[in-house]
Amino acid sequence: MLPLSLLKAAQSHPMLVELKNGETYNGHLVSCDSWMNINLRDVICTSKDGDRFWRMPECYIRGSTIKYLRIPDEVIDMVKEDALAKVRNRTEMNKGRAGGGGQGNVQNQNQRNRGGNRNNSNNRNMQGSASASGGVRQFSQNNRSAMQQNKLGK
Amino acid sequence: MDDLNPLAGTAHLLEEVDKKLMVLLRDGRTLIGYLRSVDQFANLVLHRTIERIHVGNEYGDIPRGVFIIRGENVVLLGEIDREKESKLPLKEISVDDILDAQRREQEQRQEKHRLISKALKERGLAVNADIINEDFC
Repeated sequence: MLPLSLLKAAQSHPMLVELKNGETYNGHLVSCDSWMNINLRDVICTSKDGDRFWRMPECYIRGSTIKYLRIPDEVIDMVKEDALAKVRNRTEMNKGRAGGGGQGNVQNQNQRNRGGNRNNSNNRNMQGSASASGGVRQFSQNNRSAMQQNKLGK
Repeated sequence: MDDLNPLAGTAHLLEEVDKKLMVLLRDGRTLIGYLRSVDQFANLVLHRTIERIHVGNEYGDIPRGVFIIRGENVVLLGEIDREKESKLPLKEISVDDILDAQRREQEQRQEKHRLISKALKERGLAVNADIINEDFC
């Protein structure tokens, strides 16, 4: 998972952003883009020496001024779980296809008839990921609610 | 290197993924953590990161968690050798002690710079803030 995808996954989570000039901004991530420009809400800004503070309801930070961002551990755990679910789902899909033979649409069959082994596998991958992503969302949601139950149990 | 590879140039960083790395930032800070991800700008994701502060031959570790570091702020990074790590010629001390030591070191440095700028002024030389501050940036 690329650094910027992780940042996107951290949306709505609290984080600390340190700028190149040493100022830090604590707040919840509202949105970010591919230049690392970010929107924060409920922000506390701390001066470089750490002895002055400013509160602001929201702020926008230009990506190029950022030194680093610190995000909560949960975000990585969450992302890991989703990735794992995706892999699990894909292997299950493949198993299902190998056993049942599948219906296969017209295009797929055409390619199979041509004997293009490569085309066939490409197609399978694409299908796998497209349908997997639909299933994954459900799966990860289940997972998460299970996790919450665990937490409650503790 | 393969020109079709969208990560050409940072490809060698991919080999460091999931290894324990030391990262030196442009502000002089040292971070140690597991590299989880890299992109074409050499932005990094560090997991289970500690910030290590060195003063003389003592050091202290502060747990910091997950970092997304903007690539342009990195000076260097390298893999930590697990075998050599256990026999460092340095002494680990508590976070409070190392922060104390760091503060004292900083004060000494400021005092030194104050004397330098004073001496320069007495000799009619302009004080160059860049030279004075080079250790701080």
